Amino acid sequence: MFKLNFKIALRNIWRNRTSSLINISGLAIGLAACLLLLLYVAYEWSFDRQWKDAEQIYQVMTNRESANGGIEESSWSTGNTVGPVLKQEYPVVKAMARMSWDAPTLIANGTNSFKRKARFADADILKIFSFTFISGNAETALSSPGNVVLTESTARVLFGQTDVLNRTVRFDDKREMKITGVIKDPLKNTSVGFDYLLPWSLYESLNDWVKEPSWTNYNWTTLVRLDPQADVAELNESVKGLMERHEPDAKAAIFLYPLYKLHLHGDFINGKPVGGKIEQVRLFMGLAIGILLIACINFMNMATAKSERRGKEVGIKKTIGASRGSLVGQFLMESLVLTAFSAVMAVVLIELCLPYFNGMLGINLSINYANAAIWLGIAFIVVLTGLIAGSYPAFYLSSFNPVQILKKRNFNRRMLNFSMRQVLVVGQFSFAVILIIATIVIYKQIQFIKNRPIGYQINQLVEMPQDGTLYDKFDLLKHQLLRSGAVTSLYQSSATLSRDGSSFWGMEWPGSTEADKLLNFDQLATTYDFVKTTGVKLIAGRDFSPEFASDTAALLLNRAAVERMNLKNPIGTVVQYHGVSTTIVGIFDNFIWGSPAKNAKPMAVAFNKGWSGLITMRLNAAHPPAENLATIERVVKSINPAYPVELNFVDRLYAEKLKTEKVLGILSNLFGGLAVFISCLGLFGLAAYSAEQRTKEIGVRKVLGASVGSLMQLLSVSFLKMVTIAIFIAVPLAIYIMNSWLKGYDIHTTISWMIILYAAAGTLMIALLTVSFQAYRAARANPVDALKYE
Amino acid sequence: MIKLENIEKYYANKGLKSYILRHVSTTIQQGEFVSIMGPSGAGKSTLLNILGMLEEPTYGTYEFMGEDVTSLNERKRIELYRNHIGFVFQAYHLIDEMTVAENIEAPLLYKKIAAAERKSRVADMLDRFNIVGKKDLFPNQLSGGQQQLVGIARALAAQPSIILADEPTGNLQSAQALQIMELFKKLNEEEGITIIQVTHSEINAGYGSRILHLLDGVIKEDLQVAL
Repeated sequence: MFKLNFKIALRNIWRNRTSSLINISGLAIGLAACLLLLLYVAYEWSFDRQWKDAEQIYQVMTNRESANGGIEESSWSTGNTVGPVLKQEYPVVKAMARMSWDAPTLIANGTNSFKRKARFADADILKIFSFTFISGNAETALSSPGNVVLTESTARVLFGQTDVLNRTVRFDDKREMKITGVIKDPLKNTSVGFDYLLPWSLYESLNDWVKEPSWTNYNWTTLVRLDPQADVAELNESVKGLMERHEPDAKAAIFLYPLYKLHLHGDFINGKPVGGKIEQVRLFMGLAIGILLIACINFMNMATAKSERRGKEVGIKKTIGASRGSLVGQFLMESLVLTAFSAVMAVVLIELCLPYFNGMLGINLSINYANAAIWLGIAFIVVLTGLIAGSYPAFYLSSFNPVQILKKRNFNRRMLNFSMRQVLVVGQFSFAVILIIATIVIYKQIQFIKNRPIGYQINQLVEMPQDGTLYDKFDLLKHQLLRSGAVTSLYQSSATLSRDGSSFWGMEWPGSTEADKLLNFDQLATTYDFVKTTGVKLIAGRDFSPEFASDTAALLLNRAAVERMNLKNPIGTVVQYHGVSTTIVGIFDNFIWGSPAKNAKPMAVAFNKGWSGLITMRLNAAHPPAENLATIERVVKSINPAYPVELNFVDRLYAEKLKTEKVLGILSNLFGGLAVFISCLGLFGLAAYSAEQRTKEIGVRKVLGASVGSLMQLLSVSFLKMVTIAIFIAVPLAIYIMNSWLKGYDIHTTISWMIILYAAAGTLMIALLTVSFQAYRAARANPVDALKYE
Repeated sequence: MIKLENIEKYYANKGLKSYILRHVSTTIQQGEFVSIMGPSGAGKSTLLNILGMLEEPTYGTYEFMGEDVTSLNERKRIELYRNHIGFVFQAYHLIDEMTVAENIEAPLLYKKIAAAERKSRVADMLDRFNIVGKKDLFPNQLSGGQQQLVGIARALAAQPSIILADEPTGNLQSAQALQIMELFKKLNEEEGITIIQVTHSEINAGYGSRILHLLDGVIKEDLQVAL
């Protein structure tokens, strides 16, 4: 029985090649899109879950109080004292490690030198995370300041092998370090990624400011592993007052938050988690299910449209003794066979698309074929899809009463089953139209914020890290670069111009209140020529200048800061900046430092060479950029030979700001397009069947003198009606959804009627083309062929 | 074997009852070969459908092999189809996706007969109807007469006690029709299978042992055919 059903299923697929192809390819695209999205969802979902007992790992978070007594911000970082105190006072804290941000830093094996991501961390980090040691061991690997732990890939890059225990590498062109461990590369989806790991003790000996204990220098990540029996709620209640006790002025409180939750549930309002990236993950899951459903609907529609033909088979089988169950089984089997074909095609499609998909999203997904769970997952989705797609046709077809079908007269169920099909098609197109409108709105919003005036001359601006000797020899570098003609001006700064990096509070100015101390300012430290190099618009006053020796205690403010501080006559005003009396010498117009979709924050630019870590240069427009870059590289290499020269165009870095939106845009574009395509594929199939069913009617009408045009109209109108209804359903939904999406941005575009019009007209147009192709074919057929039978 | 009592069938349309069958009562014994005749619209096919339990009468009782089957649930009806009733249709109604052999085998599959037995019965049928050479062909590769032979072979495969045939030769040329009728007669006489056929043709009816004449839903005549 099974074998025969299987054979018949294959024959059926082969017999109806066109509709099978439509079905299989539609399902394959749907499955591929669905699996691709689920792969991405799985990647995000398993973030920071790769460790053993990952649920016992917590990150120490800091709630900073706001002026009105609420919680201004829940920060992911802490000072350097909170960790050791926690470990000491709370026995449930089994291990504690402080960790620095990952900074690309030079590491060398002889002349073989590379910039790789380095992190400093307490030795206990090896007890918190279950790294797999290829050589060395977790107990001693970070025990002394001269030790370093490499990841497998770093070891291979430096040495070409992993058997490198006890060999030495040179760190940051300063110190020889002994390799005391090589670990397997952790999976990419972790927030503690690094290429090599250095002991905290080295960090302290290299930097005095790290050695100095501080509760409020929120510069580091503190991670703990708790006892499995620990009552976290109780612990959190008890650590609330910890900072208050030790540092009453801090106006902050710590709490512990599960590390694996931080990636997806990392947004906090008033100290309470309010979601975060999880929303995007949910959105993608919704998309995945939606696309698959559209494909399933195609399948159902095609199957029920064929019911007249299949109905006969059902009737016969019933009269020779087939039970309903066996018929349901047969139809389900057919859909499963079809889905299996689609799955094979889907896997091929995924393999073809993954590189592009990864490239677009900047991630690295792959199907791990050796992983049984993946196969199970795919099998599960395939079987589920087959069952969903096949169930409606199976139960619908098997319910036929043999006599009605076999008599062939008053085959009058069409009204009913057509309306079900209509509902499904309307649903399909509604989803597609929503996606199209979403795509256009997202695109428009990206364009809108991308085209906002940035506030400085972003072209021809290049930055590089101030590595090695560049800090000491900056004046020489400046002199040589300017003389070379490649650069017209340059400055040192604490952070890049392309995105916000640092903020502070506690500024005091004439007329400021106690609450104003909690006002958050963006902060950037520079040296001379900041305004000149960037092209930021100076509204009042002047740039820092070597002509004024007092400029070491001077400050530039942006317009937003002056407005917020309510300074009538800002130039010359003396403010308390980090507790030091500082004179405001210039006011510049707001420029976009943080999110381009947010209103400008108050910003202070201070003069502080000591904080500088980056050099930003304006290229000389008189020469081609490539030539300028080559010149700069030559000059920098001659001054700082130990380091590779890393030059980055600021406009490219700036573009990365819109990455989330870009990803969203790409995905909605891609999947919106797919949704429309699959829906139209289904429409194409339905139109073909409708034309086939009505061959006789068309023949009769033609004999009676109907024109091709009127016949095409006859065949197309019912389909276009459905699409039109779908548009009417989808438009208000889409407007609602996209308006709430746009609300997340301070600065956003509006949904104009043009967008709706484009989407509606576009969808109708595509649907019309799809249907009319079939209609034209049917209308042009010779009526004799149609009327010959019967 | 079959006992119909006061069978009525009508459709109510806007308050008007349009009768298809009225007061149909008759008994058909095991081994009879009955032809139902009458002009178009007389209710022949409806009567046959009721006999085959494909339709339910609006009124009246129907006993099949001593059991009241007037309104039967699907499971029991399927049981009867599997074991006692074979259908033969005017339009053959073979399953297009199955080969000749598979078509004949299908009812045996539903009857859950073991593979070896199935094979031998199918082979037997193919042999008997002289279509061994066509066993791997699909229905659309056969002539009408050949298709109807397969249809009958399929109906016989499950070894039914009764065959219900709705104009079995309606689509056939006269030579082929003759062949089919001969076959029915032989089955009836040699194997004692009860046959009830609907037909327009006097000649076909002549092969049977009894003729029911239907006119406007009423049995007008019940003739024994002289042998």
